[in-house]
Amino acid sequence: MAGGDGDRARAPKRHKSSAPSRSIDETAELDYTDDVDDDVRDADREVKKRDFTKLELKPDHANRPLWACADGRIFLETFSPLYKQAYDFLIAIAEPVCRPESMHEYNLTPHSLYAAVSVGLETSTIISVMSKLSKTKLPREIIDFIHASTANYGKVKLVLKKNRYFVESPFPEVLKTLLKDDIICRARISPEVENVKQRCLPNALNFPMLEEYDFRNDTVNPDLEMELKPQARPRPYQEKSLSKMFGNGRARSGIIVLPCGAGKSLVGVSAACRIKKSCLCLATNAVSVDQWAFQFKLWSTIKDEHISRFTSDNKEKFRGMASVVVTTYNMVAFGGKRSEDSEKIIEEIRNREWGLLLMDEVGYPLVIFEVHVVPAHMFRKVISITKSHCKLGLTATLVREDERITDLNFLIGPKLYEANWLDLVKGGFIANVQCAEVWCPMTKEFFAEYLKKENSKKKQVLYAMNPNKFRACEFLIRFHEQQRGDKIIVFADNLFALTSYAMKLRKPMIYGSTSHVERTRILHQFKNSSDVNTIFLSKVGDNSIDIPEANVIIQISSHAGSRRQEAQRLGRILRAKGKHQDRMAGGKEEYNAFFYSLVSTDTQEMYYSTKRQQFLIDQGYSFKVITSLPPPEELPNLKYYTLNDQLELLAQVGVFCTCCFLLVNSLRHLNQSLSARDDMIGIEHLEEDSDGKALMKARRSAGSMSAFSGSGGMVYMEYSTGKGKAGASKKPKDPSKRHYLFKKRYQ
Amino acid sequence: MPQVMVVARNFMDMVAALPAAKLDMLYDSAFICEAVLRSLPPLAKKYALQMLYVSAPVAAAAMEEWVLDEYAAKHRVAIDRLLQLRVFVEVRDRRKEVSYKMNQKFQGNMQKYLVDGGSLPREPIPSSVTARLPTLAELESFALEQWECFLLQLINSSQVERGTSFSSSMMRTFQRGLLSSRDGEAPRLTENGFQFLLMETNAQLWYIMREYISSAEERGVDPTELISFLLELSFHTLGEAYSLNTLTDVQRNAIRDLAELGLVKLQQGRKDSWFIPTKLATNLSASLSDSSSNKEGFVVVETNFRMYAYSTSRLHCEILRLFSRVEYQLPNLIVGSITKESLYGAFENGITAEQIISFLQQNAHPRVADKIPAVPENVTDQIRLWETDRNRVDMTLSHLYEDFPSKDMFDQCCDYARDHGCLLWEDAKKMRLIVRVEFHSEMREFLRRLR
Repeated sequence: MAGGDGDRARAPKRHKSSAPSRSIDETAELDYTDDVDDDVRDADREVKKRDFTKLELKPDHANRPLWACADGRIFLETFSPLYKQAYDFLIAIAEPVCRPESMHEYNLTPHSLYAAVSVGLETSTIISVMSKLSKTKLPREIIDFIHASTANYGKVKLVLKKNRYFVESPFPEVLKTLLKDDIICRARISPEVENVKQRCLPNALNFPMLEEYDFRNDTVNPDLEMELKPQARPRPYQEKSLSKMFGNGRARSGIIVLPCGAGKSLVGVSAACRIKKSCLCLATNAVSVDQWAFQFKLWSTIKDEHISRFTSDNKEKFRGMASVVVTTYNMVAFGGKRSEDSEKIIEEIRNREWGLLLMDEVGYPLVIFEVHVVPAHMFRKVISITKSHCKLGLTATLVREDERITDLNFLIGPKLYEANWLDLVKGGFIANVQCAEVWCPMTKEFFAEYLKKENSKKKQVLYAMNPNKFRACEFLIRFHEQQRGDKIIVFADNLFALTSYAMKLRKPMIYGSTSHVERTRILHQFKNSSDVNTIFLSKVGDNSIDIPEANVIIQISSHAGSRRQEAQRLGRILRAKGKHQDRMAGGKEEYNAFFYSLVSTDTQEMYYSTKRQQFLIDQGYSFKVITSLPPPEELPNLKYYTLNDQLELLAQVGVFCTCCFLLVNSLRHLNQSLSARDDMIGIEHLEEDSDGKALMKARRSAGSMSAFSGSGGMVYMEYSTGKGKAGASKKPKDPSKRHYLFKKRYQ
Repeated sequence: MPQVMVVARNFMDMVAALPAAKLDMLYDSAFICEAVLRSLPPLAKKYALQMLYVSAPVAAAAMEEWVLDEYAAKHRVAIDRLLQLRVFVEVRDRRKEVSYKMNQKFQGNMQKYLVDGGSLPREPIPSSVTARLPTLAELESFALEQWECFLLQLINSSQVERGTSFSSSMMRTFQRGLLSSRDGEAPRLTENGFQFLLMETNAQLWYIMREYISSAEERGVDPTELISFLLELSFHTLGEAYSLNTLTDVQRNAIRDLAELGLVKLQQGRKDSWFIPTKLATNLSASLSDSSSNKEGFVVVETNFRMYAYSTSRLHCEILRLFSRVEYQLPNLIVGSITKESLYGAFENGITAEQIISFLQQNAHPRVADKIPAVPENVTDQIRLWETDRNRVDMTLSHLYEDFPSKDMFDQCCDYARDHGCLLWEDAKKMRLIVRVEFHSEMREFLRRLR
């Protein structure tokens, strides 16, 4: 739902030029965006032959757990007795590529090494530990690489004093080198601290800045009285991630990666409790703001008057010299005119020196102002507004394209810790999910429509509404409700599919424009009543609605090939339920969570589905393909059994689509600023919480219609490195060009 | 191992296929008699021993009474085998009653063997002469390396560093049926070639030995002599040295070829030369099932379709390359991934999903071999699904008929084709129909008659 979100008002022109009415080809390209990097990766692999057979094997290689290749790839045996030590070491120095059961793969990169030294590992330690763990003599290239990537670390410090940043170094020649750099030189006059940090990164001047906050000796900023409550007992991996952050008694900036449901908020609250200074907590939307405020009160002894929320509906005043403020990225970054009271609050946020900037979901694509805003753009804005001594980013899914890592590296800091999903599953800390891809053949009639050229624009609706898929969904709901007494979430990105399914099956649903009261009522019933066991959610449910009761997910339509959406949705049921010992391997509730992805065979969806699963597969999950659902004896008991019913459904789809085209076209005439995209029928555009909302009432009516027309609002986008040449032949337009344009426009 | 069509299941099948006269000649050697006896199915073995001292024929009907009714089938198999190998000879009396008698030569040799245990035509050279002989481990690695080298050359791999001394014509003989070369193209592995590579060493060895023996005549060598020598060889002691001087000319030539294949190792002393049989040679007379799969597996397949093979063998690498994309090669590890593209390449070459899966399962690394399943289910499922996906479209050669002068004629043609079960498709509106290609001439005939 469009509503008014902030920047939108300022940027009608951008919209017009960036998103004119598109042809289906462009849509396809757009949807591929988060796949491009895969293709590049694959093509890359093909080109280079990686023959390292000449490496010298140590005589006792069987006792050592890893191989390191000259190109930075590392292979780790998980069945080695040294696995635990080797894992902790590798996760500190390298980026995980994939972590299934027996063998892990990691990549050594300049940034991962930068992260390693910033958590206190020394160059010599890295090399000696690695050669101790390695089955072979370390390749010369690796040793040189480690030296080169870490040599300069620690020579430069970034310090915040009295709301101003200082670059300090005991080496005058280093300072001279830095001053020769244009950007850094200019930053003395107009301070843009992120740019300075970026210039110092390994891929530029290579003097990565040490950013540590000696909070114990900070006498300038007042202390905040808060402790962890005794019942808040961090788990081993939470402790470990905190120890990486506070390793030397000071607070390091950086990112902690934990799967959904593994207790990120406790890590955040614990960090705030250790620093005991003012803390600004940034969340993605108003619902999460409430949840964070609740978490602070749940785990810590913070007094109610020291915590305040700042959302468009809830502008609580700061009290006291030090406090915790929870707000959204949009509220802070909003650039339009604000109301008087929120202007006051934002002024206070600007002027305060924050001890901790806690950033939630930094791996999540914050596509808020427009479709194509690079998330870094948002972070950059927020970080330039708020002055903080230490930044902690939390996320479940960190995409590893170099560009993104760089962005987050200079904006927040290096990755401090990343948990291994499978280890958490084995430890019983998150649920053991059975994943399945259910193949639903298209019915003859739907497939015929799907193939017609003139229907290219309603392909998505057609494969979402495939009667066989509907029946598989109906069967699964029935099975899990009746046989197992489970709580089920059905996800559908496509609003038409969402409403049709939910209405036909008589289940409650929540989507963007469902009112707050309605949402609360439905969720309350789902949680507490045994009559409501299934709810239908649009993508509003992907990450902002907390539903710990659910243990089954059925996905009927999704956003193209987004790996992150798949992971986020799985995250909804990862929270471990029941007794701890039951969940351990072999326990009676070993498999108590189910994730079904329904795909219509022979459609685009199959292709997307493979792409979507990649992230989870790399974490060690496997998708079982189910080809025979529903079972034949159940067929007559399910809806759309007869051909007539199916044809009627097909007709409905047709009528709906025609309406949409008309609506979109008329809207386009009425309101040029609306980025109506008629090719994505039924796509929902989510409303984000921002300050401009109240001022934008006039636009709201148009905006709500755009929900159905599909003014592709909050779309999952992952940004590739832009090197994509491999996919170019398949696609009509070269994606690299496209990215170049985006970069130019939004930098 | 996948059921392989290209290979006689063991040496004895080949022996059994020899003409009667040649077979009787083979039985001159007590060792061959013993090898044949060893190769028999248990029941046949028992019959042979039972008849060892019976010189009169025994009626077939009487023999049938030796077993319970429900084992009649096994009895049949045993008797058939004994007849094939001419251990038993069929005799018919005047009333056409069948009875069996033991092959006299075989019987005589076996009786003698029972008494004095038999001895090889040559004794091992004492260690005082040979000085240091290779250890069994060294010998085994020599054999495997030699064999691998030969296989790499066989499949024309670019990975081959050092060829064997087989003449190219000899090599071509071996490649017959495994490689196909179209004009101007590099030879490609055929379906059989793929299956061959996926087989275990012993089975491969049988295949090559069979080719070696059956092409013997082309080289002016009597195959019987080769068979008898090979069987004899299998009774030599593993790791002992035997003088080359004890060999005939034919045998001496053969032993050089066998050394290339890794069956024996040749060594030269100060004045003497000798050969040392390796495991490959001593396993020759064992049947396939006896020696199979006691070696350790080496492949780990992960749920993300990554494949890690603990192997130093270039041949393994070549085999994995047949159906996966090899990405990294380390001193003792090969890393690859199973992709749709790599599998399609394999399917294209006639290799089946089941073969790949059973290869992965049977060679599963001990780490994962105990798990059930050893290869993740999602991977095996997907491999099968990709295979069936390719089989969704069936090609049928056919003919299209159109431009019928009248609806009546069209209908008649349709009916005619339909009655013969050869009508594939019809479009009454446009008067077009398609029939199977083999029906084309009949259809034409029918049309001619209509006109």
